[in-house]
Amino acid sequence: MRDRLTLALPKGRLLDAALDLLHDLGVEGVDAESRRLIFDDDRRGLRLLFLKPADVPAYVAYGAAQLGIAGKDILMEQEPDVYEPLDLGFGVCRLVVAEPRELWERDDPARWSWVRVATKYPRLAEQYFSARGVQVELVRLDGSIELAPLVGLADRIVDLVQSGETLRANGLVEVAEILRSTARLIVNRASMKTQYAAITGLIDEMRACVGTKVGP
Amino acid sequence: MKRVPAQLPKGARVYLPDEAGRKRQVESRLFDVFTRWGYREIVTSGFEYFDVLALGTDVVLQENMFKLVDRETGRMLALRADITPQIARIVASRLRDEPKPLRLAYVTNVFRWEEPRISHYRELYQAGVELIGLEKPEAEVEIVAMTIEGLHALALQRFQIDVGHLDFFRGILEELDVDAERTAVIREALSRKDLSTLERVVGDIKPPPRVAEALLALPTLFGHAEVLDRAAAYALNARAERALANLAELHRLLRIYGLAETVMLDLGEVRGFDYYSGMHFEAYVADFGASIAGGGRYDAMIGRFGYDCPAVGFAFDIGRSLSVMETQSVAVDLPGPAFFIIDFTTDKTGALSLARRLRDLGASVARDIIRRGLDESVAYARAHRVRRVLVVGSPRTPAGQLLELDLATGGERALAIAAVLENPMEHFPELRGTNHA
Repeated sequence: MRDRLTLALPKGRLLDAALDLLHDLGVEGVDAESRRLIFDDDRRGLRLLFLKPADVPAYVAYGAAQLGIAGKDILMEQEPDVYEPLDLGFGVCRLVVAEPRELWERDDPARWSWVRVATKYPRLAEQYFSARGVQVELVRLDGSIELAPLVGLADRIVDLVQSGETLRANGLVEVAEILRSTARLIVNRASMKTQYAAITGLIDEMRACVGTKVGP
Repeated sequence: MKRVPAQLPKGARVYLPDEAGRKRQVESRLFDVFTRWGYREIVTSGFEYFDVLALGTDVVLQENMFKLVDRETGRMLALRADITPQIARIVASRLRDEPKPLRLAYVTNVFRWEEPRISHYRELYQAGVELIGLEKPEAEVEIVAMTIEGLHALALQRFQIDVGHLDFFRGILEELDVDAERTAVIREALSRKDLSTLERVVGDIKPPPRVAEALLALPTLFGHAEVLDRAAAYALNARAERALANLAELHRLLRIYGLAETVMLDLGEVRGFDYYSGMHFEAYVADFGASIAGGGRYDAMIGRFGYDCPAVGFAFDIGRSLSVMETQSVAVDLPGPAFFIIDFTTDKTGALSLARRLRDLGASVARDIIRRGLDESVAYARAHRVRRVLVVGSPRTPAGQLLELDLATGGERALAIAAVLENPMEHFPELRGTNHA
């Protein structure tokens, strides 16, 4: 009998591309608009979980899902103890430091010694600034980070940008890039060994799909 | 009511009686396995001088030791974070003249200052062995076979032993010729089988093509015996070749033991202690995210204490074993006392003589000392999973008799106390099994 596998999917910006990939693998009938959190594909023996993106690593690390799709940004922020065998190529974005234009016009990042930063990525932000000898006061937020400098909550933000449109619309300017991110396939450590055949089979299929799309 | 300070420091944990009962069972099942293979227990000190412990301990673990100062000497002490370096030191100093091999076993706690995760706390319990003085692969097979026997002893299913060999990776590293910082990046990426980071590193340092191919192949060099054939193409030097030959021999022996099916090979597995000098392995159970046992060969460690001697060893993580058993719904029998004696008479001699007689036969016997009604006493006995309740001085039995309530079957009967004292086994056949007298 074929092992049943559970794949944790992130709702939000990565979901459409992830579902396209699954469609290429022959998983059909997934209704992304539905409010259901679980979808079973009996033909492939694949169960899909729809989660908040930041929750995907925990489900996979603990083995509640054998596989998951997560942005590199979240993986670097959380450092879950999982395998990360495949760069899926989609969901390209960057984690950057940004600040209001009027601050930017007179600001010199080389002279920062203390900053207050609003972010969803406290660990990466802290690492970035402390590696440069800059003390940082973190304001941990869960969304609408761009708002923080506009209302005086923080001088600067550390946030993901795709096109940069949201930054521009809020009068913010990028000052520095912290990392580049794409979506990754992650795998539970024990499952990789105990369900070796099923999981490596699925990884190989995904690699083939991703390869034809991204090109050499 | 007075508020009781209940807070524990992060990473500390308490085992309440039922949990402690399960923990004790796990430890004794594993220790039985060690005993059956001829291992003898060793007990080390919970704290030692930091610099002595540090000699054999991995750098990362050294940073994560709990440290304190010795009031007498002012020297730095540390709580044990890993028992293997302690045993290595004892072997080098106190046991070096003993005939080899030494087979040593332990059940102990260790302390590590790390973020608690997946059933890992800052005080963790381990049961393990060290097999000292054998450089042959047979020693490696012995500890793998014992690990598998331990997994069976815990009644676990769907497990896999994952065997790696750091020298295959170290052989490739020698050819790469990179600094320590880059090595750390490579090792970290490999530990996640993160091919895209490795590709980026290869793009940066531009090694000779055959070295690049070998490095990029590492994350996929895992599976069953066929991995050895695939890996042969990437064995770039004598060190890597020796690692492969070692694994091939190990695999051949595991086939003879009938264990090859349970074992996978992973040449890209570079986690584990730096002190591993050869093969190393971890035991995984399906749907539990972390390994529950692990070990390997550490031929150079005892030498750091002045006595060159090869060694292998492994340990089970007791906390994780308990979690996995719960995940797999492994039933652990936690019987309460075999007898619970309630005596309504004033002189209590009936209860005392019965308890003495039954305990002498090896049975566990608890007595109800609080004065309360029979129903309350029986409810207490049920809550403590008592098998039989013996009531002396019940209004339902004449003097000289006791009333026995069998809580397992719901049956009850009256027995002459003198007859029970005379021949307990006739009335309670299960005592034949517990008789140590």
